[in-house]
Amino acid sequence: MGPLAQAVAPSHMPIVLRPLLPELILVGTALALMLLDALRPTPDQRPFVLLSLAGVAGAAAATLSLWTWKGPGSVLGGMIAADRFAVYFRLVILAAAALGILLSSYYLDRAGEARGEYYPLLLFATAGMTLITAASDLILIFLALEILSLSLYLLTGFSFRRLASAEASMKYFLLGAFSSAFFLYGIAFAYGATGTTNLAGIATALASRVNGDALALIAVGLLAVGFSFKIAAVPFHMWTPDAYQGAPTCVTAFMSAGTKVAAFGAFLRVFGVAFLPLAHDWRAFMGVLAAISIIVGSVLAIAQTDIKRLLAYSSIAQAGFILVGLSAGTQAGIQSAMFYLAVYAGTVLGAFAVVAIASVRGEEHTALSSYAGLARRRPLLGLALTAFLLSLAGIPPMAGFIAKVSVFSAAVQAGSWPLVLIAVLASVAAAFFYIRVIVLMYMQDPAPEIEGVRIESDPAGWAAVLAPAFLTVVFGILPGLLFGLLRTASVVRF
Amino acid sequence: MESYYAQYGVVVAVLIAGIGLVAVAFTAARIVAPRRPLPEKLTTYECGIDPVGEGWAQTQIRYYIYAFLFVIFDVESVFLFPWATIFERLGMQAVVEMGIFIFILALGLLYAYRKKVLQWA
Amino acid sequence: MTSTEVVFVVLSAVGSIGAFRLVTSKNVVHAALYLVLTLSMVGAAYLVLAAGFLAWVQVLIYVGAIVVLLLFSLMLTKAPIGREALDNQQRGWAALVGAGVLAGLVFLIQNAFGSAPRIQIQPATTSEVGASVFANFVLPFEVVSVLLLAALVGAVVIARRDERP
Repeated sequence: MGPLAQAVAPSHMPIVLRPLLPELILVGTALALMLLDALRPTPDQRPFVLLSLAGVAGAAAATLSLWTWKGPGSVLGGMIAADRFAVYFRLVILAAAALGILLSSYYLDRAGEARGEYYPLLLFATAGMTLITAASDLILIFLALEILSLSLYLLTGFSFRRLASAEASMKYFLLGAFSSAFFLYGIAFAYGATGTTNLAGIATALASRVNGDALALIAVGLLAVGFSFKIAAVPFHMWTPDAYQGAPTCVTAFMSAGTKVAAFGAFLRVFGVAFLPLAHDWRAFMGVLAAISIIVGSVLAIAQTDIKRLLAYSSIAQAGFILVGLSAGTQAGIQSAMFYLAVYAGTVLGAFAVVAIASVRGEEHTALSSYAGLARRRPLLGLALTAFLLSLAGIPPMAGFIAKVSVFSAAVQAGSWPLVLIAVLASVAAAFFYIRVIVLMYMQDPAPEIEGVRIESDPAGWAAVLAPAFLTVVFGILPGLLFGLLRTASVVRF
Repeated sequence: MESYYAQYGVVVAVLIAGIGLVAVAFTAARIVAPRRPLPEKLTTYECGIDPVGEGWAQTQIRYYIYAFLFVIFDVESVFLFPWATIFERLGMQAVVEMGIFIFILALGLLYAYRKKVLQWA
Repeated sequence: MTSTEVVFVVLSAVGSIGAFRLVTSKNVVHAALYLVLTLSMVGAAYLVLAAGFLAWVQVLIYVGAIVVLLLFSLMLTKAPIGREALDNQQRGWAALVGAGVLAGLVFLIQNAFGSAPRIQIQPATTSEVGASVFANFVLPFEVVSVLLLAALVGAVVIARRDERP
């Protein structure tokens, strides 16, 4: 009998599916949508939107019920973690998905791109995102990463008649596949170094080593590169501006929020659990990654003339700020990064929602010059975008300010004040381009060719703008609401 | 361990015999056959008709879809082999596991069929 | 050297030559055929290492399906790339990166396993793989079906004819 046989006796563990219920609901809804689309094709998109929203709501309810989960910390043979960490991330992702669906129904109607394949793909992507935050085995994390990536490549190229969309999809796919290879290679090295792919098992194996060996360090490096692609940290950010600009704006909104939250969730779990024994080695790496992401993202954002590209570079810089919290390597660091992620998700989603509405029928008016005088033409839209931009810049009383402060204070406590110095200077510089857009909206007259363009909006579109705007202000004034949850949710158990 | 390699002995023998057969046949033909090349003899044989254009032709995207579906179901079939060896031991559990797997993919095939990507016209 | 090691070295040498020709070949169809050679040699190496199931998966999926997909996508392109020069200006960089990866891997494997005791190769049978997949890795196995389904929907999205006027 070979070595495998000793490890695998046919097991009769009780099958506990409740911690997996959110994903089961999401996939089940996606299957139902596919059947509906295949068997009863209808040009009317409303049943699809309503069914998707119901699926996301059901998944959210199932997730909420897990908050008081008393069962074992990991189920299904150590594959799925049933901790509040996963609950928190899933809720953020599901909220982003719900807003993304609303925005999509608004956008696709007007862009004339409404087709039945859209919502199943969106739900597959959401299921991949929520699964990755709960997965506690590298193989499962990889599969979830592939599900979410594959669906997002397709959504990015969904309006493939528009050349930019097809191009964005292609670039995203090629670089994404490249990063998957890094990730897979990292898994192979991790298995080679420890003999297991289970996160807790890896931690146990590494903790018993006297000195860290090169194999495990390479695994850490390769996995970090794989994650860095997904969170769009410099120097693995090349796909971001093109993909964000080319994708249909509703997809951009959903993926900029969802992918980053999901990838960071898995990032935190893998490095906070499996590679915690090597924390001393990877902290510096994260710090460097954070610093260059902040600097490059902020500097390049200044030169942008297209609002979608501007927000893409901004999201690169934001990934850097979140990494600052991660590089602290402490409980406070994880907590602040988690707060930052929720705030970032809401803010960027709302900002792209404004772009989707203001650019009328898709992608026509995304140049920054089209935003001149927006606040006069549509005061509420202008006000919402102002709130989002101020939050991204980290100016009080918006939630982004609290997020930045908490990340910085965690890093200072951990002793990495040079990193914080760089981050503070860069955020001062970055404030320039956010405020430039605000000035443009309030102080300048609209360009003549844009003046007559009517911006229409419907309740779904408004919901996707106003809900995040409301949360951005509320969490800015009452951050305790979220931090209260985070005290228990930031404990990664498995 | 010896018995493991021994069971592939036949495979290696067939491989060597196959390569040998082709090598011998071609070498024999080269030695025995007369060679008088003419331009007409050297053209590509296309059922007796003069070949037109180049050997390279752009294929339709449809072929790609079939190739892609083939890959998907190829991956599925790979899982059937280890499943077949253990399903007696695991019993009902194995049947349910594979049932779910095949059900989900069958749903995909139904979807592709209803979406008319399997039709040629 | 044992006879197993001799066979392994020969297989890896042939595979490496194939890999080298794969990247230096100026004809993409030839490159694809060299890929077949390299992938087959990897499969044969699995066989020598007594991972029979893995070897046949390598043949079925990689040599069979993936290369077919690759050739189809080559044939989709319009240009008669068969004879055209296929090269760009980054040979130097590519060679440098390749040499770097080689050096890194040699160091790593030496560092990690150089001092480890020799292990006896034991065959991993298909039923052991099956027991592992269907008892311990059930969830990833089911997730694979969802991944394949998402890929299938993607194929439908790309292949669909335009239904709008």
